[in-house]
Amino acid sequence: MRFSSVVSAVFGLCFHTSLSSAQQSNLTTPELTQRILTGDFKPAPVFENTNLVRTINLEKGYVRETTNVLVTNTDKNPQSEYYIPFDYDLVGKIGGFDARDKKHAERGPLEVTIGTLAGVSDAKEPSSSKSTQYYIIHLTEPLPPKGAVTLSISYHILEALRPLPASIKQEEKQYLTYYFSAYVPTVYPTIKQKTKVKFPSSDVPEYTTTSGLTSAADPEKQGSSFSYGPYDTAKVPPGTVYPVTVRYEFNKPLLVCSVLERDVEVSHWGGNLATEERYWLRHDGARLANQFSRVAWSTQNFYINAGQMTTSALRELKVPLKPGSVDAYFTDEIGNVSTSRFRPNNVREASLELRPRYPLFGGWNYTFRIGWNNDLSSSLRKLQTPADTYILAVPLVEGPKNPEGIQYEKLVFRVILPEGATNVKYQTHGGTGVPTLQAEHGLHKTFMDTLGRTVLTLTATNVVDEARDVTVLVTYEYTFFAALRKPLTIFAGVAGVFVLAYLVGSIDTSIGKKQK
Amino acid sequence: MAASTPLDPFLRGSTSKNTRGLLRIIILCTIAAAAVSARLFSVIRFESIIHEFDPWFNFRATKYLVKNGFYSFWDWFDDRTWHPLGRVTGGTLYPGLMVTSGVIYHILRLLSLPVDIRNICVLLAPGFSGFTALAMYLLTSEMSSSPSAGLLAAAFMGISPGYISRSVAGSYDNEAIAIFLLVFTFFLWIKAVKNGSIMWGALAALFYGYMVSAWGGYVFITNLIPLHAFTLILMGRYSSRLYISYTTWYALGTLASMQVPFVGFLPVRSSDHMAALGVFGLLQLVAFFNFLRDQLPGKQFQTLLVALGGTIVVIMFLGLVALTASGVIAPWSGRFYSLWDTGYAKIHIPIIASVSEHQPTAWPAFFFDLNMLIWLFPAGVYLCFRNLKDEHVFVVLYAVLASYFAGVMVRLMLTLTPVVCCAAGLALSYILDTYLYAQKPVEESASSDSNGSIKASKFSANSALRSTRNSIVGIYSVVSKSVITSMVTGFLLLYVAHCTWVTSNAYSSPSVVLASRLPDGSQHIIDDYREAYYWLRQNTPSDARVMSWWDYGYQIGGMADRPTLVDNNTWNNTHIATVGKAMSSREEVSYPILREHDVDYVLVVFGGLLGYSGDDINKFLWMVRIAEGIWPDEVRERDFFTARGEYRVDDQATPAMKNSLMYKMSYYNYNSLFPAGQAQDRVRGSSLPAQGPELSILEEAFTSENWIIRIYKVKDLDNVGRDHQSAVSFDKGHKKKRKPGAKKGVRVLREE
Repeated sequence: MRFSSVVSAVFGLCFHTSLSSAQQSNLTTPELTQRILTGDFKPAPVFENTNLVRTINLEKGYVRETTNVLVTNTDKNPQSEYYIPFDYDLVGKIGGFDARDKKHAERGPLEVTIGTLAGVSDAKEPSSSKSTQYYIIHLTEPLPPKGAVTLSISYHILEALRPLPASIKQEEKQYLTYYFSAYVPTVYPTIKQKTKVKFPSSDVPEYTTTSGLTSAADPEKQGSSFSYGPYDTAKVPPGTVYPVTVRYEFNKPLLVCSVLERDVEVSHWGGNLATEERYWLRHDGARLANQFSRVAWSTQNFYINAGQMTTSALRELKVPLKPGSVDAYFTDEIGNVSTSRFRPNNVREASLELRPRYPLFGGWNYTFRIGWNNDLSSSLRKLQTPADTYILAVPLVEGPKNPEGIQYEKLVFRVILPEGATNVKYQTHGGTGVPTLQAEHGLHKTFMDTLGRTVLTLTATNVVDEARDVTVLVTYEYTFFAALRKPLTIFAGVAGVFVLAYLVGSIDTSIGKKQK
Repeated sequence: MAASTPLDPFLRGSTSKNTRGLLRIIILCTIAAAAVSARLFSVIRFESIIHEFDPWFNFRATKYLVKNGFYSFWDWFDDRTWHPLGRVTGGTLYPGLMVTSGVIYHILRLLSLPVDIRNICVLLAPGFSGFTALAMYLLTSEMSSSPSAGLLAAAFMGISPGYISRSVAGSYDNEAIAIFLLVFTFFLWIKAVKNGSIMWGALAALFYGYMVSAWGGYVFITNLIPLHAFTLILMGRYSSRLYISYTTWYALGTLASMQVPFVGFLPVRSSDHMAALGVFGLLQLVAFFNFLRDQLPGKQFQTLLVALGGTIVVIMFLGLVALTASGVIAPWSGRFYSLWDTGYAKIHIPIIASVSEHQPTAWPAFFFDLNMLIWLFPAGVYLCFRNLKDEHVFVVLYAVLASYFAGVMVRLMLTLTPVVCCAAGLALSYILDTYLYAQKPVEESASSDSNGSIKASKFSANSALRSTRNSIVGIYSVVSKSVITSMVTGFLLLYVAHCTWVTSNAYSSPSVVLASRLPDGSQHIIDDYREAYYWLRQNTPSDARVMSWWDYGYQIGGMADRPTLVDNNTWNNTHIATVGKAMSSREEVSYPILREHDVDYVLVVFGGLLGYSGDDINKFLWMVRIAEGIWPDEVRERDFFTARGEYRVDDQATPAMKNSLMYKMSYYNYNSLFPAGQAQDRVRGSSLPAQGPELSILEEAFTSENWIIRIYKVKDLDNVGRDHQSAVSFDKGHKKKRKPGAKKGVRVLREE
């Protein structure tokens, strides 16, 4: 019953979050990285964006914005904090924020904090005005006056795409719209800027044509990518918005996981690393205008299989697994889903091909879980010093890999370590746009545990499938005696049963006197 | 012989008893293991899944119990079934099964083994079948002095298809634990009668109470034990042992049974239980007169017996009649009558008759379910007559009653199986003992043949022939021994083979999942039921009411987790008939019914594409019959047969058939899957009309991959106030045929 109680609990959770994510998720960001700003805070205009190029990538089911900006210090003092503004409604959908110094890319991402206005973070008295929120980039060295630095800032925005029309016929194509400002939102004066938009295909039936911003035709089309600008915006005050709407074909499923629960369980005795992932998947794309027709779907399937047609419905998910993965399973709340195929491979990636029980159309949900086992030796290593310390390397996200991408509103990643593991620490490695992780230590009691297994729970919001490049490194201490706990407990238990049986057997329960 | 020498210390003397005891335990454990593993075919072939229909309810109830605790389970009012009536589930079920699983679940958790409740439910029946084999060993051992009888009976019980049919892994039904309780209660009862012990009687009552909480078939025990006592009294075998054991069992057992809310006061108020009460009273009288006989001279006693006894019996009988007539004691239930008259149910309770397991048993079924036991069974009963002790009377009575009941209803084969196994164990062990233990007579004139074999004594008596004197023939010879032994071994092996074959082929299909073979021989799973149920579960509002025929009610509740109108707990005939009427009427008649019952989705099962014969069109006549039982004027079975009395779905189908909602839902849009005019129904083997049916009050919402399940959404009232038919024809661009005012008596629900 454990599973279904978890299911119901998480169901409750996900309904909750999906309803209120826009209002609340900016409050759920970890407090450690949050800076509380007071009153009607405005960042000081100490910088100038000398040249700014923004790329909006719409090829996947979520938006990825990458901004390369040459920043010059116009103040008299050295400055180290660069502010990036986000609308109140938008900031809760931002994930994977990553800022780097272009010249020193090898140093890794710069430190980023989130600035929240005090009125907003205080849930009891929500501020009446939906004020702008900030991401603050901390430069490693303060920028001297007149000094310049090139920043590469990237992040993705979840659930910013809307299907238009909102409901389509079963065989019609799905179109999405995206709203943005031709002027990049910034708090600093910008001298020159340009925005590139990359579409999944060249089928872009509607888009905003700007007037009076530049002399040339705007936007400029090159195949499946558009570019707005370049604009000379030295005289435009920072924060000016010029709304732009694009509507483009995206005849692929728009997959959102309201929750992904991911468990990785380490077993030293079994030499096994068991992974289980539970998905609450939904399709946020255009709904069916009429009801689902099986006849039409059979015909469509024929053409899709022949490669002559595409559909916005989800037919299949492919999950690449680590080489040597075994015992894969694919179940949902009512049992095994027989329409899956597992192709094990010891050399290259193994592949788990999942077909949901029914094709997933816009507005439909599908809840399922998958799991598999790996040899522990491929991801666990014992450290030379200190003694009895192990290091475990697991990806933050595995799961389906598909061209349209998947967004996870919430990720709960549990690393279940053996019983008696202590001194658990973690860090991430690799990947861009590492989501902010909130760590929690706890115990998980399951088969034949006396104390419960040590659990490290990492929670993140607004994650996308690109996070599969991020590796989580967990170090922990696990002594030989802790490993012996389980066999000793079982031995004691069985011995106890025998002793008890012997004692019970030797009790004389007869009422009458013993006949001799 | 040389090989056995090292074993001699274990086989002789005082250690031999221990050795044999150990051996017996090992054999019993092996039998239990075989019983469990024989039932795992479906888990291995498919998965750990709950089977069929009723088990889905039990599973759902168990989940509720585990989640909400015992007391809220007791008070459970389920508003997700029998919409809009709901069901007082806690008071209308036998909680034994769910509580057993719940207790196992919590014990395992306590031992820090958090096994999923689904796996406990799936494996409960195989687990208990292991216990049943042990109980059968104990029961049969009480009947025979031979140690092998019990072991044989246990082995038979473990793998007998008659029992496996209701206890494979996943068939999480009341019978899963009830058969164990039945056999074990009988064992305790026999033990009590033999010893005249209050302890055994109380234990029998305890397990009887457990049985009552687990299965409606407890009535069988309630009547069989009094019958046994009654027969013993008639045979003049009244003894204080009988008195002690029966009174203990009856008093405690009745109290225990009354603790189950569903049973409540039935033990004192229903005719089904009156026999037990009557025998209880009779025993008191007999005991009293026995006491008087010791105190009084013979003549006076005779007078007193006739006068007092007669008066008491007459008063009690009259009282019973009066109470029955005044309604204090419920009359015999319909199910009881259908046991005596196999045609009764078909006329009076079509719902009971519509269930396939309530049909009379076909005679091959006996051989199919019991194989060689069926011919060993009479031999075993005969052996019981040979040394007719109290316990043998019980077996004889049980055998007679159970054979009759098994002939009346297929599902009662289940109650027959234990006694068949017991009797067959007795018979076979007798044969084996006779042949294997027969010692070669030491002296030539061994007329004092202890084994009483006529053949043997004939040969030994014939001392005139010298040739026969030296060479041993008859049952003492190695030849006859080995022939018999090998024959029996052969039969036993055949039995095992048969049981395995039957279990594997007939009883291991979950029926939720269908298996077929692809051309290359690999297994292909047809999972339409779960596809559609899961679609309902994920993509409809959680309070969407689903109407379907009652067969699928429990599955929809369990797998789709949606409220249903009717389900397999067929307590409300009218409600089922309402659904039957909605299915079998024209759209205009059905729509008000659907609206009145807040139906959002209608689910039908259609096997025409795949050739799946258990579909709703084949069950349709039962819907019609049940609806006709309540509305004989509106639904008539005759209308669904052609003039020649055929049940057709093709061009020549009757108008009533073609216009019925069920027909329309089954074949809606089916035509477009085929080239024009070639639509084919693979179950009925008939080609369908070129023009497919049109639906106006429903729209197709979902159809599963192989079309087995079709789900329709009930349309809301038309926005402009038209009826649905004219709205549909308007959408198609047809002209309005009638004036809107001139309605031809068509009932259309209007809601203001």
